[in-house]
Amino acid sequence: MWVDEDLTLEGLGTGVAPRTRRRRGLRIGAALAWVRDRLATTPGRLVLISILVVVGAVCFGAVAIGAEQSRERAAKAARNQTEPLLVQAKNLYTSLSDANATVATGLLSGGVETAANRNRYLGDLATAGGALSTLTREAGTAGNASSALGTIAEELPTYSGLIETARTNNRLGFPIGAAYVRAAAALMTSRMLPAAELLYRTEAQRLDDDYHTGSATSSLVTFAAASALTLILLLLAQWYVMRISRRILNVPMVVATVVVLGVSVWGIVGLVSAQNALETAHRNGSDSVEALSAATVLLSRAQGDLSLAIVNRGTDTADPNDFQVVRRVLERPGGVIAEISALARRTGTTAAAQNFDGEYATYQAKTHELTGLENSGQLTDAIRLAPQASAISEALSHNLAQQIDAAQGRFKRAAADATSATDGLAFAIPLITVLAAVLALLGLRQRINEYR
Amino acid sequence: MTRPLRYLAAIVLLAGTLAGCGATSDHALNLTLSALATPRANSTPSPPTKKVNCRHATASLRPPAALPAPNALPAGSFMAQIRKRGYLIAGVNTGAYKFGSLNPTTGTIEGFEIDLVNEVAAAIFGNASGHVRYFALTVPQRFTAVEDGRVDIVADTITITCPRRALVDFSTVYYNATQRLLVPRGSGVKDIQALAHKRVCATASSTPIDVMKAMSAADRPVPVGMPQAIDCLVALQQGTGNIAAISTDSSILQGFQAQDPNNTEIVGPSLGSVPYGMAISKAHPDFVRFVNGVLARLEQDGTWQRLQAEWLGQFHQLEATPTPEYDG
Repeated sequence: MWVDEDLTLEGLGTGVAPRTRRRRGLRIGAALAWVRDRLATTPGRLVLISILVVVGAVCFGAVAIGAEQSRERAAKAARNQTEPLLVQAKNLYTSLSDANATVATGLLSGGVETAANRNRYLGDLATAGGALSTLTREAGTAGNASSALGTIAEELPTYSGLIETARTNNRLGFPIGAAYVRAAAALMTSRMLPAAELLYRTEAQRLDDDYHTGSATSSLVTFAAASALTLILLLLAQWYVMRISRRILNVPMVVATVVVLGVSVWGIVGLVSAQNALETAHRNGSDSVEALSAATVLLSRAQGDLSLAIVNRGTDTADPNDFQVVRRVLERPGGVIAEISALARRTGTTAAAQNFDGEYATYQAKTHELTGLENSGQLTDAIRLAPQASAISEALSHNLAQQIDAAQGRFKRAAADATSATDGLAFAIPLITVLAAVLALLGLRQRINEYR
Repeated sequence: MTRPLRYLAAIVLLAGTLAGCGATSDHALNLTLSALATPRANSTPSPPTKKVNCRHATASLRPPAALPAPNALPAGSFMAQIRKRGYLIAGVNTGAYKFGSLNPTTGTIEGFEIDLVNEVAAAIFGNASGHVRYFALTVPQRFTAVEDGRVDIVADTITITCPRRALVDFSTVYYNATQRLLVPRGSGVKDIQALAHKRVCATASSTPIDVMKAMSAADRPVPVGMPQAIDCLVALQQGTGNIAAISTDSSILQGFQAQDPNNTEIVGPSLGSVPYGMAISKAHPDFVRFVNGVLARLEQDGTWQRLQAEWLGQFHQLEATPTPEYDG
């Protein structure tokens, strides 16, 4: 574009300011003198306007593409990187939490746990391992996240070792099996789950940052302001040309104005619809994923507490206390379950949420019965009831997993809309910028030539 | 000039409005992150123990000359109330192998202590089957549960001490345990003197820790407190914490040794006597006398000896039958 300008100016025969290598003051003085000379005559003014229009067009192009790109990059990052990583962090968190609850329930119900229970635990470990390797590959650079991943990778073999020792002792009928379950659960809750929570939090916040960048008002305002200023510049140039000549319309300049207006409207519409789609991805997609994931983690924490309360009966009251705390976080007004219902109403998926609510009421009743037995000295009966509570808890987490899949689908569709809404702009903006500059120069050159 | 200005204003206004209607909300994120950050609840703290002195901690109330038959319990007595209720509520241990523990295979609580409680129930109901509810209690709960009447009796490896006597009544001694040491087999450690400056594990703030602290600086081991004595065995088996020995009641240590027979051994002389008694509310002296009568009968007719041999004979060093002491 600068080349264009130089060529044009040479072509006009006005010559450029002498490229002096002397002191700066002199150069500025010379440039000002040159501008003063040009302002004195009409063709001189037209040359100045030409320079202004070209500079204006280039500035418009640069600012507009900058604003568009910052949003497009954010939307693409949300769709292709941060949200998929959030899902991996969620998988890691929920599978570790579920493994802990599953194993406590399994080892409680008799010396040898059922095959289904064992498979669920092994499946959880496999999911955790898979998520751990993905996260290490994709997200393992940030300091905190990297050390959290390191903690989980270090402790996972120790955890599963403690669990296997617990199983062996349980098979032998030794009560030390319960102590091993307790040691493993302590390792999980004091070291591994906090690390998983940190990872989840990091990824959730990165996604949130992308949402903020992807729907930043400043980008849209910048784009609109750049468009408006360029249009004003073009209109002013035409107004001046119209005043000095008899002609009403300068065709190339009108065309230049129209194409700039066109790309501005396209850009604003594109940015606004990308923003709306990203909002939809956020509000109808990942908000639900986040709330449902939190519910999954908290439910397995509650189920773990419920089982560990029996395992640790007579040694510790932390587990039944924690069970009550987690229940409050889930059930209180404005709590996690209320949020799930609110999001279900927002996204029009109330059927699954109602199923969940119904199932959760069953779970409440069963756990109430269980803790009642426990607190009235019927420990053996409570132990017999424990697998039933565990089965309901599993059904609940299955329901949540299905809702998460659906929310994930909503996210993907909206995020795809968000990235496609600005398709072509990255190519069109520079092209239109050059086109507008060339057209404007052509139009002005016709007028300048008339003074030859 | 005014027309372009108007356009500019209109465009900026439009952009602002459109941007405003899509403003992001972080409500769901903040709610879920704060829910996930809920800290884990702690154990209910245990009340502090007061220093109390008493003349003869292990002496209990004298039983009646003849124990009433189950169908002839004195009217208005606590035993009659229990019989009317249909079951005895007993606080028990669930982690002392063969003494009082939860059998992971059957899900039932069983052991020497449990059978003694069952004998008390049998004395009230004729037979114990279906007439006992077992409560697993934490160490501080063992006393509060008796005091507030949630349980009728506690048989949970409770050492009779003066401060505890101030809270609850005790039966006569039903088992004389001793404080001993469990070490890895082949470690060469024969007594506590060999453990000077080595790490010895015990239940946090328990008598064994006090015993170690009271030793002379030259002989003193480094006490390591764990929430439960069994956690010490986990640490020993896992090789964590550099534990050289575990010190606690012989009844518990023998259970540990039975769970790891090839790799551990109990060594050294007794570091202190640990008399076990059943805790009963001070509100029911009639029940204390009744239980003492049941215990005296079990010790005289050979049931106590049979139960000890049955539950503990395989692993434990058999203890002498305790001699009941009465003071009122």
